Amino acid sequence: MTPTLAVDGLSVRFRLRDATVHAVTDLSLTLHRGELLAVVGESGCGKSVLAHAVLGLLPANATVTGTATLHPDGAPPVQLIGAGERQLRTLRGRYIGLVPQSPATSLTPVRTGRALLTETLRVHGRLPANADQVAEEAGLDPHDLDRYPFELSGGMAQRLATALALAPDPGVLLADEPTAGLDRPLVDHTLDLLRRRCDAGTAVLLITHDLTAARRVADTVAVMYASRIAEHRPADDLFAAPSHPYTAALLDALPDRAFRPIPGHPPMLTALPPGCPFAPRCTQADDACTALPTTTHGTACHHPLTPAGAA
Amino acid sequence: MAELTARRPLVRLRPGTRGAVLAASVLAAAILACLLVPLVWPLDESAVALNQINQPPSWAHPAGTDDLGRDVAHRTLYGLRVSLLVGAVAALVAALIGGAVGAIAGTVGGWTDRILMRIVDTVAALPHLLLGIFIVAMLRPSLGAVILSIGLTHWLSTARIVRAELLSLRTRPFIDAAVSGGASRWRVYTRHLLPHVLPRMALATTLMVPHAVWHETALSFLGLGLPPHLASLGNMINDGQRSLLTGAWWASLTPGAAIVVVTLAVAALAAHWRDRLDPRVRAELQL
Amino acid sequence: MSHPVLRIVGRRLLVAVPVLALTSMGMFVLGAASPYDPAQQYAGAAAFTATEENLAQLRANWGVDDPLPVQYWRWITNLVQGDLGWSTSRHEPVTSVLAARTGWTLLLVGAALTLVLVASLILGTLAAYRRGGLLDRGLRAAAYAVEAMPVFWLALAAITVFALVLGWFPAGGLTDIAADGTHPGDVAHHLVLPVTVLAISQAPWFLLFVRDAVADSLRDDYVLAARARGLPGRVVLFGHAMRTALLPFLTLVGTHLPELVGGAVLVETVFSLPGLGAVTVQAALGSDFPLLAATTLITTAVVLAANLAADLAYTAADPRVRLDG
Repeated sequence: MTPTLAVDGLSVRFRLRDATVHAVTDLSLTLHRGELLAVVGESGCGKSVLAHAVLGLLPANATVTGTATLHPDGAPPVQLIGAGERQLRTLRGRYIGLVPQSPATSLTPVRTGRALLTETLRVHGRLPANADQVAEEAGLDPHDLDRYPFELSGGMAQRLATALALAPDPGVLLADEPTAGLDRPLVDHTLDLLRRRCDAGTAVLLITHDLTAARRVADTVAVMYASRIAEHRPADDLFAAPSHPYTAALLDALPDRAFRPIPGHPPMLTALPPGCPFAPRCTQADDACTALPTTTHGTACHHPLTPAGAA
Repeated sequence: MAELTARRPLVRLRPGTRGAVLAASVLAAAILACLLVPLVWPLDESAVALNQINQPPSWAHPAGTDDLGRDVAHRTLYGLRVSLLVGAVAALVAALIGGAVGAIAGTVGGWTDRILMRIVDTVAALPHLLLGIFIVAMLRPSLGAVILSIGLTHWLSTARIVRAELLSLRTRPFIDAAVSGGASRWRVYTRHLLPHVLPRMALATTLMVPHAVWHETALSFLGLGLPPHLASLGNMINDGQRSLLTGAWWASLTPGAAIVVVTLAVAALAAHWRDRLDPRVRAELQL
Repeated sequence: MSHPVLRIVGRRLLVAVPVLALTSMGMFVLGAASPYDPAQQYAGAAAFTATEENLAQLRANWGVDDPLPVQYWRWITNLVQGDLGWSTSRHEPVTSVLAARTGWTLLLVGAALTLVLVASLILGTLAAYRRGGLLDRGLRAAAYAVEAMPVFWLALAAITVFALVLGWFPAGGLTDIAADGTHPGDVAHHLVLPVTVLAISQAPWFLLFVRDAVADSLRDDYVLAARARGLPGRVVLFGHAMRTALLPFLTLVGTHLPELVGGAVLVETVFSLPGLGAVTVQAALGSDFPLLAATTLITTAVVLAANLAADLAYTAADPRVRLDG
């Protein structure tokens, strides 16, 4: 089945005055209709940059290489990386949507939720009268649409941001940390909403550092570490038997498992080591790990925990 | 694929230093010229050359001659001396007034502070050229009146700075600790406050000098400033106005150009100084 | 909870009244400290031949030897009744001097302000949109350069180039010498240079503010989110970036008005326009306290009123401010 979104060899570098930040290195993944892929990793490993790179929203000092091919329904495939602003504008929102991080700052402060929602609906050829309905679907009380962003609580702002992303009904949805800072019931509600969209046919890329959230709704999981993908496998397999030592360590750190934190901290994205980035903290590391591992069966490791080929 | 690592340039030139260096050289050259000109090339006030009225710029007279045949470039240097001196003195006067007001407001506090701040707001709301004109008009145009006029309209920035520093420091625990340790409040203020406040005040005063020069020039241009024998740049621009209407633009525009150059130099230096003084100034990254 | 508009008006008046009172008192004190004798000023050249008795009589008529507070009270009460005093240099009531000239100054300042606002909004936004580009860098360099130029120097330069060399515009005055009245076309032709010079001299501050505010706002999260929703560039710029960034602009314009007024005084003098600014200078040269005091006070009142209007406009426009007034 043709994937809706196919990313191949994506690399993003930021030019700073004294250094270069390697936010994403040689990243490849595919996303299919009706699939919910969770991209998990610690803060600062480059997950959000991935979403912004695909949408062409990176700042001017970013260099992007690789390809990201979008296969919209009933339309020819489009190469997103390097596409002009004009072309991207026709795709954003309508074919590929974003639920932005930190909704409180992502909402224009001087306009009401209703104004923002009706504007988005109108731009994408939908009826502005649907605003109430869209809000309700996202779990927002239509009365709260008449408030300004500073009058909304964190949860309400999140639901408004989600509504804004869902309004044009895109085929691909990128959700950037949609549950950060929310309490458990709201987290579950948001995740279930994404899952419902997914089941209705949308391809969802969920970016999160919350493993429990991923476990709840994801079909596939990609674990990122220091700008690379360490492991990319079906969710059930990954949670039952993680292959990459980093994944295993992440799961061990969960409260309902061993609750044991990983010693050390991730490398700076400005000074990545030449070999496997996790080697300094890995219990399985040896001399072979001074070279970059190749990805076999979804795992980039010289010494995977699960034997190669096993489920 | 070669790994890109953080590069360390060989010579670490701070961003924007080139501009500041240029500005500093220009300013130094100007000040030096002003200081040296009476020694190297003294001006003879009575040296009127009526056969050379309103000559356009040439090799003999780089900025032409005025309507009395005098060399404009030469007189501009002398005028710059006067204007800079008056500007510097006036800025100092303004800084002292402002510092005093700010110190009183910050230390005494309470109703005195509120009243003084009302006065600050009042003066801020007034067009300060109008106020300056008023002061000079009432006190008879003279050097003293001009300096007072500038001083009474430009003291606001230093007042606010000193008051703000005093207010912020007053509430800091180390003041109380020092006082309860036996130090007098006065001693605490002078030992801890002054090092904090002086750099900011110095910067504010330096920034004020171009404004003071501008104010004095404007007053002199209107005929309300320095007496003619002091020949500031403003007086020259005013005198040159007559010749301008007959086409001799150099007599007015050259003194003005001197102000522009000096103002730019001081502003560039002060901006550079301010950026280095305040680490909280956000650097303009290429993001 | 009282109406926010009333609260703002009330608060501004609370500030304005002491400001005006303090200003008038300060001016009065200065006037009293002045070494000039109003009687001699009034008599002018005739003072040399007037006897001391006549001058004393004049002083008594005006009550200039009365105690200061008495004089001040008399002046204030006259003021609020509409009697602004007698201009000693022009030999006519202050009110008639003001009436004849205020209109021209308002025209000059109004036109210059409009020009500055429009130009800085357009150019500043363009520069911010292409941040770091040629227009941006050029405009910022030009702004810093113009900021260093005294407005009267700029005026003289403009006259040299456009009036003397190119001959496109007149070098001064409101109307042609041969004109028999004020025709709009003639006046407009004469005002092009003064208005443009005044606008350009004030432009740097406005331009830099707009450019910085819009540039910062274009980098903000909500603009990124708006773009991510696929909104067209123009909608993002006007409806989101500018709308948020430029609201404080409204009130800040008010704080810049005193500068504009100072510039107007100088422009009117250079271009020989019959406005309030020019007459203020003449009053200063003639030590005419009543006229000078009246123009200063009225100008201050107008600036305060303009600030109030800007405040109200800002409160009406920005929802974040409404709640706490």
